[in-house]
Amino acid sequence: MKAVGAFAWSVVQDALHRKVFYAILAFGLVLMLLTPLLPSAEVGVQVDLMREAALGLTSIMAFVLAVILGSTIIPGERERRTIYNTLSKPVHRWQYYLGKYIGIVMIVASALALTFLVLVLFVLIKFGFFNPGLAKALLAILFESCILISIAMLVSIYYSPVICILLTGLFYVLCHVKGDFLYRGMTEAGYNPLVKALSGVFYYLLPNLERFNINETIAHGERVFEVGAVELLLLFAIAAAFSAIFIYLGSYLFSRRDL
Amino acid sequence: MESVLNIEDLYKDYKGGWRKPPRTALAGLNLEVPRGKAVGLLGPNGAGKTTTLKCIMGLIRPKAGKIRLFGAENAGAEARRAVGFLPEQPYFDLYLTPRKLLAYYGRLISIQPENLNTRISYVLNLVGMGEESDLAMEKYSKGMLQRIGLAQALLSEPEFLVLDEPSSGLDPMGKLQVRDLLEGLKREGTTILLSSHQLSDIEEICDGIAIIHKGRNVASGGLDELLRSRDEYEITLEKPLQEYPEVLPDSASWTDSMHTRLQVDKVDLNQALKVLAERGAAISAVRQRRMTLEEYFLDQVGDRGWEVRG
Repeated sequence: MKAVGAFAWSVVQDALHRKVFYAILAFGLVLMLLTPLLPSAEVGVQVDLMREAALGLTSIMAFVLAVILGSTIIPGERERRTIYNTLSKPVHRWQYYLGKYIGIVMIVASALALTFLVLVLFVLIKFGFFNPGLAKALLAILFESCILISIAMLVSIYYSPVICILLTGLFYVLCHVKGDFLYRGMTEAGYNPLVKALSGVFYYLLPNLERFNINETIAHGERVFEVGAVELLLLFAIAAAFSAIFIYLGSYLFSRRDL
Repeated sequence: MESVLNIEDLYKDYKGGWRKPPRTALAGLNLEVPRGKAVGLLGPNGAGKTTTLKCIMGLIRPKAGKIRLFGAENAGAEARRAVGFLPEQPYFDLYLTPRKLLAYYGRLISIQPENLNTRISYVLNLVGMGEESDLAMEKYSKGMLQRIGLAQALLSEPEFLVLDEPSSGLDPMGKLQVRDLLEGLKREGTTILLSSHQLSDIEEICDGIAIIHKGRNVASGGLDELLRSRDEYEITLEKPLQEYPEVLPDSASWTDSMHTRLQVDKVDLNQALKVLAERGAAISAVRQRRMTLEEYFLDQVGDRGWEVRG
């Protein structure tokens, strides 16, 4: 596990030296701080609007971080040839792969933790109440990011960062619309049998990422539906299961890849 | 003698792509590196040297063939514990200082934390980078980075060193230092596989060579044995002759401008000696001629090297 830890830490160090990391983080935080400029409304509605916008922006920031880091870490090391020095050491490729994954998750988690602090402080100062419930939405965003990172890394084994970002984006969209779009394609009469079959395959293979979108519920103070520990555990289990499958597949393919 | 590395019938193809034909990099390569010896891997550009080294280090997978490292076939991470590798033109994350970089590699090698700093200082001093070890590497020259590459290869106190062009980018002084360093390591018992275009380095450091061309062995064996393989002799005179003989054998030719060294085929040696003695030549030595490695390499590869396409 020492090697996995060293690889994970190397990702964090690397990210801290990348300007893009700070740019994404700064962009997200600035946008969130600008949310009070939203059209004025009653105090209760204003806080809901502010939280919804902030959580939406946080989702985008986490998506961008996860996809960019997941798509570029391995191809970048291959292109810079630093991977030769690393993998000629007495380490297994799965340790490298898992370490890099954990490192990216650590970066996204740190960015989300920072966002949480900013949001909670902002709500406290502006609206005068402590709102730790925001952490639930941020946890769900982190779980979703874990799946996205694992799929981006898997694709990055064979494809360039640009193609990888596009494919991961497509995966993200498909997984968000599957509950509606793919379900209808699979079940409703009148569709071509091939479309029905493909919709069915994707429906059962892909994770339902829309399940992780609890921003609206949290933004409205969980007045309609409360997100409890069971729901969060279920989200964690889904993320862990899909991430594990993609990481296993990725490390297997990576171990067979010529460098 | 026990072998540290044994390669049998190694094949490697690189797949083609769109408008890029497939390429055979290795086509039945054989190589043996005995323990405690230094072997030079030679060949023209594109001969398959780097591919061979990458196969040994597990960076690429051969299509067929066997690689035995320390006696174990398909050696994995554990076998690499005793191997130090310097890739061709090593690259690093340049924002790091050499100390931080080596600390990272040290953790991968599982060097005990209490010994890590001492070992890092030792290898940095060994490659002449002790004083600049706390500067970020983005300020380093190519030669300095090459030295850091050597330092990371030596970090694990390897029994077997695999080096791809270790003198690349170094100034003449640096080349001499690397040569001395490798000779020292060899004396201490380190086995070395050295791929280099610096034939003088190979001739100086290595006990044996393997010349490869288009992924196949062209020649291999001990340096002394290979370079003396021709039936040629050299006759050395104490001073030039007053009068040059006109009846020297056809194979005879002067190899220096002073006309004190005469090269001749074995079959004509006696005749040449007789002619020289008749002219009153003072012969100081007669020895079997040893080719230079460059002569031998060109003799083996010759203009075939130019057939290689990138």
